[in-house]
Amino acid sequence: MEAKPPPAAADEASTAVPDGRSSTIPSGENTVWVDVSLLLDAACRDLEDGELIHGDNFNLFAAMSALEIMDPKMDSGMVCKYYSVDEAIENGAAPVPISSDKTVDVRCTIDIMDHLLACEATWHKGHSVSQTVFSCIYLLRTDRTSSHVLLHSYCRIIRATCKAVISVVSDARTHEEEDLFTMSYGLPLSGDGDDKCLSVLNAVEETICRQLRACKAPSSRRKVLEDIEPLQTNLALEEGYCKALLCRLRFRKHFYHVLTCLRRPQGRGLELARKHIASCISELECILSSSEFLRTSASGACEDGLEDKTTASGCQPVGFDANLNSRLSAPTPPRAIQILSWNEAVKYFMRLLHDLDVLCSYSLDSSLESVLHFVVQFQKSQPDLVARAHLQLLLVQDGKLHGRDPVFAVITRAAALPEATRNHDIQKNEFIVQLGQLVINLLKILCTNSAWQRRKLGKIIQDWRVIYLQLEMAFKECGENSNVSNEENSIVKIFQHILVWVEEQTYWIASRFLILGFELELYSPNEYCMVYWYLYVALVKLAEKTHLKMAVTNGAGKRRGKKKRDTPKDVAKDYRIPPAVLFLQCQICLAEGLTMMLAALRNEHGILETRSPFNTEYERFIQHFELLQKASIPDHVSYPSFKESTTYARFSNILMYNYFKDAQRIVKEVKSSFSNEPDKLAELRRLEQVAEHNSIALNVISRVGTLDPSLKVSFEFNHHPYFATAVVKRS
Amino acid sequence: METKTTDEEEVKEAVKLEASEIEYVSYGGEHHLPLIMALVDSELSEPYSIFTYRYFVYLWPQLSFLAFHGGKCVGTVVCKMGEHRNTFRGYIAMLVVIKPYRGRGIATELVTRSIQVMMESGCEEVTLEAEVTNKGALALYGRLGFVRAKRLFRYYLNGVDAFRLKLLFPSPLLHPSLAMVADKDDGNWHNDHIPIEECSEVH
Repeated sequence: MEAKPPPAAADEASTAVPDGRSSTIPSGENTVWVDVSLLLDAACRDLEDGELIHGDNFNLFAAMSALEIMDPKMDSGMVCKYYSVDEAIENGAAPVPISSDKTVDVRCTIDIMDHLLACEATWHKGHSVSQTVFSCIYLLRTDRTSSHVLLHSYCRIIRATCKAVISVVSDARTHEEEDLFTMSYGLPLSGDGDDKCLSVLNAVEETICRQLRACKAPSSRRKVLEDIEPLQTNLALEEGYCKALLCRLRFRKHFYHVLTCLRRPQGRGLELARKHIASCISELECILSSSEFLRTSASGACEDGLEDKTTASGCQPVGFDANLNSRLSAPTPPRAIQILSWNEAVKYFMRLLHDLDVLCSYSLDSSLESVLHFVVQFQKSQPDLVARAHLQLLLVQDGKLHGRDPVFAVITRAAALPEATRNHDIQKNEFIVQLGQLVINLLKILCTNSAWQRRKLGKIIQDWRVIYLQLEMAFKECGENSNVSNEENSIVKIFQHILVWVEEQTYWIASRFLILGFELELYSPNEYCMVYWYLYVALVKLAEKTHLKMAVTNGAGKRRGKKKRDTPKDVAKDYRIPPAVLFLQCQICLAEGLTMMLAALRNEHGILETRSPFNTEYERFIQHFELLQKASIPDHVSYPSFKESTTYARFSNILMYNYFKDAQRIVKEVKSSFSNEPDKLAELRRLEQVAEHNSIALNVISRVGTLDPSLKVSFEFNHHPYFATAVVKRS
Repeated sequence: METKTTDEEEVKEAVKLEASEIEYVSYGGEHHLPLIMALVDSELSEPYSIFTYRYFVYLWPQLSFLAFHGGKCVGTVVCKMGEHRNTFRGYIAMLVVIKPYRGRGIATELVTRSIQVMMESGCEEVTLEAEVTNKGALALYGRLGFVRAKRLFRYYLNGVDAFRLKLLFPSPLLHPSLAMVADKDDGNWHNDHIPIEECSEVH
């Protein structure tokens, strides 16, 4: 592979044409150019089939990066139809106007708009922009379309929109594994005057509005409006085409507004963005309903089978060639990209707009706890990259929450410290500064796709553990230096609060890490037992820390007003377990119940037991929980403790300590505390259903289980995304 | 990389054969290369250059196996091993069994042979990637003790996610009593979990 000088250079040097061409490299003082062709020929003859001359750094990556020329699967330089955009244009692949028949021209323009929408959705869904949106030849040479105002204005708004979307995604940098998204080198993304694309679009919209009015006007009034040239020549189709164009142009306009409003600092554009989102949705609905008209008016022009068509009319659009840019789509081999159908594209945008609308409903004035809750809820519907990028930019700007609240203020609030603490000098402590960075980092990670998110969460658990230990040391030093002045006393208090909160947050991350494994389908049924067990121990710790934090807060609050009203009723109220903790308690019951049920199934029925030829359950345990174990999350928990708590699980015991019944009881008790939080109420209902079903399953298994060896038990996630329901069947 | 095989799915146009009719051969030189390439090219979606194939089979010929039926190559496995972040790790790059021969444990046998050599060569773990939609491969590797360590978002060029699967070998340092347990398990595993037609073949 190496050791071959470029033949051209060698040639030129050896023939040394003294014609003043300076492209050849001159011989140096101790070097001279020699023709090595013969030497190379001889060397080649010595090579056996399959031998390769290579450097030390020849590795798998190098091998895989090699391509075989003229293999259509690998060689992106292979000519498919045209050598270049210019050649395609010369061959009439993208005529301007598209047709000299004005009706056909309008129809084709609408097809181009529709196909571009499908391309845009396909791009958002993970393909390169060069092989989707920029497969449009008109978009690659927008100057050509300036005489075609309609097409021109549409191309320009598309280009500006692409640019805005790329900028959001690259600014958020949530796209780690989705970096194909922003690759746009070699593409004409910026055009002169694209900042004016909206005013151009408005002018076109205005014209079509007038054309629509003119064609709808009674014939008596037509005379007055006669100076308005109709959109096209077939008057029967005028209204339909005007309407179809208007909703398409308006959708683009509002969508562009949505993107710019969302980018306003500190969420100031959210309210306006919401209005534009509503407009976008209603225009999309008009676009959808225009398809019937477009199909019928184009009938004859297109073939049947509309499901995978990329246009509303079902016609093939003019002016697209995905192969023209395949050389720009490196570093991946060129692939025929399946463009989403027009229907799927509209669906995609509906969903995106819905996700963005949820984003706009977000209230910025919130505690870290509710921010985290919001993000987790938002991620449940698995929003795509564009929505997630906007979420992240909304949450973190300039290193502050919402671009407004300094991290330390966020931390003190989360740690339930008094408002005044936010200005305390302790925020300059290096560990507190680091903690602040961890919080920002956590927020960003939570906005990434779940696969990436889980891996990152697994890694940062260690960081949270380390910062806890460092803060604890700093805290101890503080305590030792005490000749307890008031100032130091307050530092001790701050540390105390923050330490409890850091632990709570760490266990929250750990439980998120475990739960995401279900969403990503990383666990197989024979591993559920250990996973629920680990989730159980993590949740117990989380509940413990949450409770402790709340107790500290309430304790601090109580002391102030203690003397005044110390009625027995208040005391009883204080000792009640807070609803947030009971909520966790309910999940703990389910996790423990499932662990025990799975363990008993295995112990008594041999169900979901696995033996593998190369390793044991211990290795699988280590692999799944390695990152948590390394960070001692929780302390003193390891494989032996798992075995200890599950080896003796029997149905007779589980029936006695019915965890599922406990869960049901807690749900009933705690429901009323969340009457104002529909999300949490819905979650409680789901937990209740899991508990109910598993409680019944438990009874069935223990009643008939030992008598009936054909009993089949499987686990399904039909009531809750990560708490499984046992399904019992007799075969 | 990739795996195209299934152990459980019923195959309609299945070829009738006894497990003993399949012959397993370790990679034996250039004459095997076209056979491997033809299988992989026809069954897997990712294109590999000849450099990639040679990279594997020249450096680790002992880890590549081919399955023959009556002189016809019906399956192959291609692997590597080496240092990866302070662990000595085996990697299963490609595993293919052609359609009419699927569902008879040929893939399990091929991959088991490679893993065996990796273990004997001192590997601490074995990894590979498989499409999340490839239920057959996931079940196969699950039975061999692989866990799904990660999900790789849109890993393949066709936009499908992959699982990174990992098999950790017991380490005498970590868990001294395990060598014995593993031995015991090894004695009866195929009777419990591997399709019957395979039993006569394994080891």
